Amino acid sequence: MTETTDPIRVRSAPAGSKGSMPFRATPPSALGEPMIWLTGGALVLCLVMIVGLVAMIITQGISTFWPRPIDRVTLNDGTVFLGVPTEFQEDPPQTLYRTGNRDIGTEPFRWVSQSDIQSIDRPEYAVMLERSAWSVWLGIPERAILVNDQGEPTIVAEGPKAVLAFIDEHHAKARARWHEIESLKKHDLGRVNKRIEASRLRVREAELATRREQKPGGNFGLGAFVLVLGLGIASAGAAWYVGRLFMRGDEQQQLEGPSRGMRSLRMALVLVSLGLLLAAWLHAPWKDRNITEAGLAEIRQAAAEREAKYQDQYAIILARIAELEAQDERYRLEVIDPRTGRFAPARQTEPDNPMRLSQIVRLVDTNAMGSSEKVGVYLSRWWEFLAHPPREANTEGGVFPVIVGTVMLTLLLTFTVTPLGVIAALYLREYAPQGIVTSTVRIAVNNLAGVPSIVYGVFGLGFFCYTVGSYIDVGSDPSVRLPAPWWWVLLATTFLAFVAGYAASVWAKPVPGSEPTTMNRVLAWTARLLWVGVFIGVVVLIVRTPYFNGFFEARAADGSPTFGSRGMLWAALTLALLTLPVVIVSTEEAIAAVPNSMREGSYGCGASKWQTIRRIVLPGAMPGILTGAILAMARGAGEVAPLMLVGAVKLNEDLPISTNAPFLHFDRSFMHLGFHIYDLGFQSPDSQAARPLVWTTTLLLLTIVVSLNLIAIIIRARLRARLSGSTV
Amino acid sequence: MPAMVDIDKRGENDAKPVYKVIEAIRRGEAVDPTLHPDMESLEGVIDVDMFNLYYGDTRALFDINMAIPRGKVTALIGPSGCGKSTLLRSINRMNDLIAGVRVQGRMTLNGSPIYAPHVDVIGLRKRLGMVFQKPNPFPMSIYENVVYPLRIDGENRKSVLDEACERALRSAAIWDEAKDRLKQSALGLSGGQQQRLCIARAVVADPEVLLLDEPCSALDPIATLRIEELIREIAKRYTVLIVTHNMQQAMRVSDYTAFMYLGRLVEYGPTSGIFRRPILTETEEYVTGRFG
Ligand SMILES: Nc1ncnc2c1ncn2[C@@H]1O[C@H](COP(=O)(O)OP(=O)(O)OP(=O)(O)O)[C@@H](O)[C@H]1O
Ligand SMILES: [Mg+2]
Repeated sequence: MTETTDPIRVRSAPAGSKGSMPFRATPPSALGEPMIWLTGGALVLCLVMIVGLVAMIITQGISTFWPRPIDRVTLNDGTVFLGVPTEFQEDPPQTLYRTGNRDIGTEPFRWVSQSDIQSIDRPEYAVMLERSAWSVWLGIPERAILVNDQGEPTIVAEGPKAVLAFIDEHHAKARARWHEIESLKKHDLGRVNKRIEASRLRVREAELATRREQKPGGNFGLGAFVLVLGLGIASAGAAWYVGRLFMRGDEQQQLEGPSRGMRSLRMALVLVSLGLLLAAWLHAPWKDRNITEAGLAEIRQAAAEREAKYQDQYAIILARIAELEAQDERYRLEVIDPRTGRFAPARQTEPDNPMRLSQIVRLVDTNAMGSSEKVGVYLSRWWEFLAHPPREANTEGGVFPVIVGTVMLTLLLTFTVTPLGVIAALYLREYAPQGIVTSTVRIAVNNLAGVPSIVYGVFGLGFFCYTVGSYIDVGSDPSVRLPAPWWWVLLATTFLAFVAGYAASVWAKPVPGSEPTTMNRVLAWTARLLWVGVFIGVVVLIVRTPYFNGFFEARAADGSPTFGSRGMLWAALTLALLTLPVVIVSTEEAIAAVPNSMREGSYGCGASKWQTIRRIVLPGAMPGILTGAILAMARGAGEVAPLMLVGAVKLNEDLPISTNAPFLHFDRSFMHLGFHIYDLGFQSPDSQAARPLVWTTTLLLLTIVVSLNLIAIIIRARLRARLSGSTV
Repeated sequence: MPAMVDIDKRGENDAKPVYKVIEAIRRGEAVDPTLHPDMESLEGVIDVDMFNLYYGDTRALFDINMAIPRGKVTALIGPSGCGKSTLLRSINRMNDLIAGVRVQGRMTLNGSPIYAPHVDVIGLRKRLGMVFQKPNPFPMSIYENVVYPLRIDGENRKSVLDEACERALRSAAIWDEAKDRLKQSALGLSGGQQQRLCIARAVVADPEVLLLDEPCSALDPIATLRIEELIREIAKRYTVLIVTHNMQQAMRVSDYTAFMYLGRLVEYGPTSGIFRRPILTETEEYVTGRFG
């Protein structure tokens, strides 16, 4: 090896050390280890926090429903009470007992210091009653009372054992009776109520119709109608014919398509026919529903007769309810609270009236239970939680309507935001000229993701609920309605602008393969201005139309807006707006990742731009689009703040899905797990009792979001496999 | 015979051949292409007339004048970056997809201009099949790949599609390999099979002209050979324009050869003429691999 002039080697291999390997020192900081530790450590920290959170939610969430023993605590001062130990504290040692019995004025939860306790035992017959109202009652069942037909009470069982046997025998029947009463009240009475309501609405509609000026444009005779309809059909035919003329190009093997003039003419003909058909439809002579005062009186009369009939049905149902309630009143229990010696009352206001048997939802005598019975109680509590509506200001019972509300909202949100976002992303990536404007729009869209969600809520309430919703309900605001002739003039102008804009953009295209001329540029700008004009025209036409009176006018006039108030549809749209950036960004990325060679291949086969997008780009981008949908779904399902403004409510057992037409009721307000958690934790009257439920509800929300995502992820994996050719 | 003269001249300057035309091109002078006899009178499917193409400000094609003869295979050869692909892609107006491309001059297909305002580009592309340098099967089944051009024409009758698919796969010499896996993803095919699939896709709708851009550049010799056979086979029915870097391939498959350099057409003539008796020294040096 000869002396080298390489400066590195000279420095690291000193002169004279001939034959030794050249040595280049590596500083310790350039070695991998510190960075491995740093990066790995950061990851572990993140993971630990996430795993800890999830583990806490799961452990707390699944233990809520496990039946705990009932202690009889004797204090040093001689007080005796029953309580379920729920929490322990070390320093000073004390125990939190759930003591229930809220309706006789005791604190439902109570911290007891270990030093105050004289003794604790677990009486076999101590029971915890989960009641349909006023939360739990802890006590010893002492007497069962049966009231006979004359209203005289007889004690039919005395002592805990006999009473428990009595309950065993009669409880199921009592509950069945109670369920029947509830069902009669809710469904049967509800149905009759709905009929009465519908009948009243019909009268209301008729009243509104007589008051309103029929036919804002004046009357439209049959002759004129036929003429306009005929013209409309004729120009539609002409548009079709003009288009047809140029389809024959194929046979003649010419390269030329339709000329620009012909294309504009065809567009004009299409619009003329649309306008004429619209006029014919709006002014069709048979739509004249002249309701006179006499007619109105007749309608009122018919309604009154109908309502009388409904009132009879109502009375029959009420009688049945009264009968069942009388039965129900007969079975009574005295379950004694050992501290006060008082029994559980039927109502808080009637402390001397012992409770009815049917008020017990579930009787838990934990101390006498084996583990299999405990598992039974545990499962039955889960079942109630998942499949029943809530009771007791949401702190008891189930969350079924909440689950339905959450799942439906999330699905509706996903199915709204995904198409919207995909279309927007397609425009941004495939159609829009890539320039400053497009980049600005892109940045703006991305920044939308950072707007606080409550802002979306405010916007949703103001725009969707009160503006769009009330437009759907009652139509255009009467104070801004245009006189019919002016409306038609505006329509014609808008159509004209549309045709002009179309023609301008057709002529704005430069000759293929050459630079746009000044003329082209001017035309392109003209076209843009005209499009803006058309947009404004369409908005004004819709907002100020004299022809639209809303779909639910009568109901709104009755003070119960349909879409003009908070509801699931608007909540979903608000969340869709909120999650739109996520979908747009991931779709854009996915579209950009579709190789250009695929597009070229498709164009080379003679596919149009749209065919290429639909058959090549979109399927190729589908996994990415699904990623966007998944992210949107996850984000949307967890949002609470905007929902509080646009539709989530504390309690609404009317599900947004039902067996009554139209089956999906997106106009209804709904319950939502996120809001439910907030409500349980911070808004409930008995927050101690609700706290374990917060965990369980959180666990449920987590499970729902994860499983919805899982479904989407599985679909995506399938798609990916298909695209990469690893499966059929 | 001009060719004889050329070879004689080369004998004199064995050490350092004189590249008159190419020197002129490098100096930026306008040079007329050297055409072999009879080339002027050829009847072309595609006629290129004083065609120029610019990518933004850079000019990629200079005054190209040539006729692509009907029913023959024409090869485009030339060093990398000389504009072969650009020329090929301007025939089916693929360059429209690239922003900032401008053209001057005329190009006609069967006499009707390709670059005219009313031209229905989609209709034009339907009449020209194209195969790209890199195989680009779509991520769908083999069957759907082949019938794609028919599907976009709205053809959905199964019998028609089945028949067309088999015909196209047979003429692309891949029927035997593919017939049992038509419903499987095309991405599972080998590179050579994929390229033949792309050829099948290009011929399924019976185009008038087939444009092939280095169809064998990603393939092994055996696959290349099969595709060459295939091109000869296809040439019986279609006009083929093929870009290639492989001189043997050009010699084997083509009837006519055009030699391009720096965006100009340098020499154009029957393949036998170009390879055995080229007029220009530079062409000879290029086809024998001594220049380029
Ligand atoms: N999209 C483009 N934008 C700008 N310049 C381009 C573009 N495509 C090609 N060019 C330029 O045009 C010239 C011709 O390119 P072209 O691809 O036609 O060459 P080629 O003969 O096909 O080369 P190769 O044999 O390597 O494929 C080259 O100088 C290239 O840099
Ligand atoms: Mg190329």
